[in-house]
Amino acid sequence: MTSEATIIFLSLRIAALAMLIAIPSGMILAWLLARKEFRGKFLLDTLVSLPLAVPPVVVGYFLLWSIGGNSWIGKVWESLFGGNLAFTWLAASLAAAVVALPLIVRSFAAALQGVDPQLETAARVLGAGPWRTFFTITLPLAYRGVLAGVLLGFVRALSEFGATIVVAGNIPGSTQGIPSAIFTRLSTGDTGTAWRLAFVSIAIGVAALLIHNYLLNRARESNTTSSENTR
Amino acid sequence: MITFDLRLTRQNFNLNVEGEIGRGITAVFGPSGAGKSTLLSALSGSTRPDHGSIKLNDDVLFSSEDNTWLAPERRRIGVVYQDGALFPHLSVRKNIEFGYKLTPAGEQKFQPDQLISLLGLSQLVERKPGQLSGGERQRVAIARAIAASPKILLLDEPLASLDVARKMSILDYLKQIHEKFELPMIYVSHSISEVVNLADTVIRMRDGEITGTTTSVELLLGNVPVETDIEKYSNQFEAKIVDSSGDLGLVEVDGVKISTPRLKGETGDTVILGIGANQLIVSLGKPERMSARNVLPGDIKNVSTENGRAYVEVDAGPKLLVELTENAVNDLDLNVGMPVHLVFKSSNVEVYLEK
Repeated sequence: MTSEATIIFLSLRIAALAMLIAIPSGMILAWLLARKEFRGKFLLDTLVSLPLAVPPVVVGYFLLWSIGGNSWIGKVWESLFGGNLAFTWLAASLAAAVVALPLIVRSFAAALQGVDPQLETAARVLGAGPWRTFFTITLPLAYRGVLAGVLLGFVRALSEFGATIVVAGNIPGSTQGIPSAIFTRLSTGDTGTAWRLAFVSIAIGVAALLIHNYLLNRARESNTTSSENTR
Repeated sequence: MITFDLRLTRQNFNLNVEGEIGRGITAVFGPSGAGKSTLLSALSGSTRPDHGSIKLNDDVLFSSEDNTWLAPERRRIGVVYQDGALFPHLSVRKNIEFGYKLTPAGEQKFQPDQLISLLGLSQLVERKPGQLSGGERQRVAIARAIAASPKILLLDEPLASLDVARKMSILDYLKQIHEKFELPMIYVSHSISEVVNLADTVIRMRDGEITGTTTSVELLLGNVPVETDIEKYSNQFEAKIVDSSGDLGLVEVDGVKISTPRLKGETGDTVILGIGANQLIVSLGKPERMSARNVLPGDIKNVSTENGRAYVEVDAGPKLLVELTENAVNDLDLNVGMPVHLVFKSSNVEVYLEK
């Protein structure tokens, strides 16, 4: 039986890697949705949000189908690293990243929409390339909303259960995070540990939501004051 | 020298322009929706036209023929936007240094400190844009654009949201900058007074096309059709200075003396004046003991109505158009041939150009 600290640490590690995957891809998707007009935008928007709308078990099943031993991704993985990609903590991170992505993309897109595109135009005209413009103008102006999105995505990744259990299983010390550990303890009658882990989940969730809401309020305030000033 | 030949189609708008803009200050003048801002954004690289070409000196910025499109950051064209578009998270100094730091060291022509003192911003450098007034913001925007050492400066209605006094002071700054740095400028506006105070050449636009090129003086004197509706009734005419020594000026036009705000020119100089049609008061008897300095006798030549407003043309030496409500015309029973007095304050007289 793994200790509670190990479970919590593993959960954090899985969620952290999930964020490393979801933040850059989420930012690209959010930027496309917030700033660009293109054919199929509506479709992309729907696709990105889909994990919110279907049961996580279905997301997990789809992931297993894409990265399992019989898929081409699974085969490439096996030829490169040996062994299976599914049922590793990396697969757990991938599952967490996919379910967190809709929340991240939506938060990022809202944050980017709060930045006046004319400021980006002005930066370009002053000699800044697209990347420099993003990192010196867009991101600093959107950072509160972006940070709020990361927090929301992180707690969603921490609470991931349905997709994870399908694509990564419930392997103690490898893919068993807080939710699946609670599930296991409950089924084996270890309610004491289940309660303690549940309390940790609630504490992390409450803290994250408090910070999330604080950041969004601040972002809203600074948006209203800056738009008043341009009148 | 910038040459362009551009075609662009959007949902319900077509831009089709061809022209050449030289070293001085060129105004692009026309009503809103004429395509002035679209032209500027094509020149600066923010909007890609469908067809045509843009050349700045010898550099090709755009050519649909060989599929050339230089990104805005590689054009070295400065832009001042209507509301400044200052970066709200950066101090005034950081805003001004933004483009300067991105300019290759060998091409940095203007130092931020020099621009800060020239535009009177020394006290403000640590402030954020949110703590600036509208006029201050535009001065920072001008300094920021010039600090990036552009080859040409585009100004997109930069004074539209400012009051008259601030406008005049910023126009003075722009003239100084133009003379000092020999920086060509393209100034987009729908305000005749801004255009004639600044520009030598005026490109007139309407409905996405260039309808002509004139000098600002010709435009002002009404020798060419004016494209905006707002300025149609601003009663512009030439006058000679009689006295420019006091706090108020005195000029003469068609044998009538008119009191104006303080004048800079010498006696005998020609100036161009404007009086808004809605600034004139019609009086049936001769008003006495009034604070307004100008009381001109005249006869009504014409009365017409348009969109619920009445326009009365009075020959008072210069012919002046007066804008009234229809009620006022009916109450006073104003008719062609009636003798009236026109009353207006000297501060309502705008002095556009002192030659």
